[in-house]
This record gives sequence, structure tokens and C-alpha cells, in this order.
Amino acid sequence: MNFALTLPALLLLVVFFILPVLSLLLRSVLEPEPGLGNYAALLGSTTYLKIFLNTFVVSALVTAVTLAIGFPVAWALAIMPSRLSSIVFAILLLSMWTNLLTRTYAWMVLLQRTGVINKTLMGMGLISEPLPLVNNLTGVTIGMTYIMLPFIILPLYGVIRKIDPAILQAAALCGATRWQALTRVLIPLATPGMVSGALMVFVMSLGYFVTPSLLGGTANMMLAELIAQFVQSLVNWGMGGAAALVLLVVTLTLYAVQLRLFGTARMEGR
Amino acid sequence: MLLNFDRLGGWKWVLLGITALTSAFLILPIFFIAALSFGSSQWLIFPPPGWTLKWYAMFFADPRWLEAAGTSFYIAVIVTVLSVLIGLVASFGLVRGRFIGKEGLRALFLTPMILPVVVLAVALYAFFLRVGLNGTVTGFVVAHLVVALPFSILSITNALEGFDKSIEDAAVLCGASPLEAKIRVTLPSISHGLFSAAVFSFLTSWDEVVLAIFMASPTLQTLPVKIWATLRQDLTPVIAAASTLLIVVTIALMLLVALLRKGLKS
Repeated sequence: MNFALTLPALLLLVVFFILPVLSLLLRSVLEPEPGLGNYAALLGSTTYLKIFLNTFVVSALVTAVTLAIGFPVAWALAIMPSRLSSIVFAILLLSMWTNLLTRTYAWMVLLQRTGVINKTLMGMGLISEPLPLVNNLTGVTIGMTYIMLPFIILPLYGVIRKIDPAILQAAALCGATRWQALTRVLIPLATPGMVSGALMVFVMSLGYFVTPSLLGGTANMMLAELIAQFVQSLVNWGMGGAAALVLLVVTLTLYAVQLRLFGTARMEGR
Repeated sequence: MLLNFDRLGGWKWVLLGITALTSAFLILPIFFIAALSFGSSQWLIFPPPGWTLKWYAMFFADPRWLEAAGTSFYIAVIVTVLSVLIGLVASFGLVRGRFIGKEGLRALFLTPMILPVVVLAVALYAFFLRVGLNGTVTGFVVAHLVVALPFSILSITNALEGFDKSIEDAAVLCGASPLEAKIRVTLPSISHGLFSAAVFSFLTSWDEVVLAIFMASPTLQTLPVKIWATLRQDLTPVIAAASTLLIVVTIALMLLVALLRKGLKS
């Protein structure tokens, strides 16, 4: 009988989620004519392949940068006095909860030719011409890193907190230097958290729409924007559906890998 | 030693330095936008040549900005109510029910969280074109509800699992009807779960951009869509003013959550 209680939610999901997505994917093999023509066109064109490649490059870059910054911050958060860490946590949460467009707008303003960063660098005499920081790979990477940082710091913090400090004391007693303890004990113990967090940031970046389309240029379009363009400006549902399926397959595969490696805990831990 | 703050030695300062820089990186853009919204320069120069409230005046003088903010709020409230109600009922089914495929169903309910939003947006846009829901409040509500519901189900099932059902049974033994026991005993005990479900649902809808861009029409748009459309033309400081108002709402909600958490603990 209790199954009936889940029916309103199930109905909502089937009608407004599962069926529309399936119907979109179906259109990718039916329009304009039945067959795999859309997929052939998508994978056979250098323009589209460049967009796929760019999507992966941006996502990988953002993942690497967030990991490099996120690890020391999560580490510090896990051990610093609680009065300090609660300030850092408040900053992390404020940034996460601030409207996505607001944060993206902030970077558009800061990175523009006459923006604060260029003005400051020129004022200090470090550069004589404004650097091109926006509408290119630099802009997207900075903006996306900004958005994704909390998503790697929070899970990593959880993992590092769970490590027993006695293990590191034991390493020290056995004569390990700080550097050895870091590379041979702490980092290996935190690796599951790093892989899991990195996978999540990578997958989220692959499907991002707003930040790349505002901070990136036309030359480095990403997959989500391509899907939107097929549908909105070109009204090509077949190609839009095909590109959506590609994104979906990559996303679900990576989530499957994550589930295989780490169970469901990560996803539900949010 | 590496996990003991006081015995880190010189490394302590390296870690603190990176953390301080990262915190600055995260907070300064938000601070700049707030400062620039009061700056007199149309070109968003920092530090501003003078201070003014004219961007706020422009925001409040333009009915389209106010209308968009009103629409956002209206939709977010409906989404919050529906999301908590449907999520509550579904959570009872998921936690108390015994049926085949329960775990699978639970996983299915969370899939909208992991699917790229743009895929859902495009799919719903196509579906709504056929049934005429684009540019309607119903369309917005349904689209936002699909992405808000997983947060509700997650918070409420967690709370419900932490609640000892025998307390509810005891109330029934003492003469309460099963429904009465649920309303007067169970619901107050899981109120923290209901509360976080409500906050997450509200913020999910209030901040949602991608679905809204596809659902919007020239006559019906949410605040994020209005900001998006304005951003594509220029970076006018009116957006900074609108953004600052959004930041204030965010901080107010965060403080409310923190206060209520404190209240629950004591």
C-alpha cells in the first residue's frame, strides 16, 4: 500500500522528465529521416569534434585546477582551529549559495579589458596592454574553477577528517619526513576522495551551460551550448537530440564508474 | 603530525596562506559587485569615482525588473510548497513501504540531480511546445519542481530514517488515530528535514537559470532570465544592483538557517 504514496512523485517524474528526455533522444534517430544520419554528421564534422574536444579540455583543466587548490584548502580546513574554519566555511557556503549568474557577472566585470584585474596589473607596471582574460579559455577556466571549488573542497574535507591522525604519528615515529608522510601516507589515504570529487567536478563541467557561454568566446564553445544552439537558433531537433545523447552517455558512464568505485555514499552525501 | 595543526611547523603557514588566498578568491568578486552597485561609473570602474544610488533607482523604476523578481518569488513559493508536500508523501512510501524495486525507485527519484540540466531543459522545451506550456507559470513550476524534488526527498527520507517509529506507534496506542499521530508526533520530530527541504527547494527554483531560459516568454520571465537577457546586451550596473539584492536575500536565508539550526540544537 505504501507504494501508492510514491505515485505523485513518480507521475511527475515520468511525465515531465523521463518521457520528454526519451522523446528527445528518439527524435535524434527519427528526424529529419530515420537512421543514424545525425550521429554521422555530428561525429564526422571537424567543427563538432572541436567542440567535443574543447568541452573535455575545459573540464579537465577545471578539474585539475580545483583539485590542486582544493586539496590544501580541505586539508587546512580539517585541522585548523574551529573558530578559523567556521569563517572559511561561511565564505564557502556564501559563495555556493550566491546566484550563479551573479557570480558569472562578477567575473565578466572583473576580467574585462578595463576591469579591475587589468587596471591593477597595468597600474603596477607589470603589463602595458590589457590582457585578453575574457571570451577565451582563460575566462572560462577562471569562472568555472570559481563555481566548482566548493564541490571539491567539501567532499575532500570529509575524507581528510576521517583519517586517523595516529597513522601519521606512526609514520613519523617510523622515521618518515614530512614530505614522505605527505606523499606516501596522507595523499594515498585521501585518494578515493580526490578521485570521487574530481569525477564529480569533471562531469558537472561537461554539462555546464551558463558560465561557459558568458565567459567563453565563440571559438571555444562547449557541448551544452551546442545543444542549445541546435534547438533554439537552428531548430534542428535531430542534431540537438543526438548531441544531448552524447552528453548523456558520457555523464552516465562516468557516474557508473563513480558508483562502481565508491558506492552511493558520495551522491547522497550532498 | 600532518593532521595536527600546531605541529605542522612551517607548513602551517603555507596551508593558511593558500586557504586565505582561496577564501579571498571566493569572496572578493561578491564584494566587488556589491561595491560597484553603489559606484557612479557606468563602466564599473573600481574604485568608483563617486557613490550613488541611481542603479537601485533604475532597478525599482523599471516595472520589468520588479515583475521578474515578483515572478521568481511567486514560482519559487509554489515550487517549495509542492516539493515539500510531494516529497513528504513519497518519503513515507520510500522509508516505511515494503515493495519490490524500492531501492531502484529511490535512485530514480534522485536522477534529476545528476542529469545535465541543459538536456532536461531542451527535452521539456520540446514537450511544452506541443502542449502549450512554454511561457506559463505552470510550465515554470513543473520544470523547477523536477529539479527541486530530489532535494526534498533526500532531506526528508534522511530525517524520517532517523526518527524512531515506535514513538509514533506509542501515540496510536495511547488513542491517537494513525494520521493524528503522524501530524502531531512524527512531523514535528522531522521538522528539520522538512525545513531544509523547503530551503533547498526555494533556492533551487529562485536561482534556476537554464530551465528558465528555455521556459521564458517575452511576457513571463524570472529574475535570472531578466539578468541573463540584460547581460547579453551590456554589463550595466543595474545588474550589479539586482545582484546585490539577490546576495542580500541569500545572506538573510543563510542566517535564518543558521539561527534555526542553533535553535534546534539547544
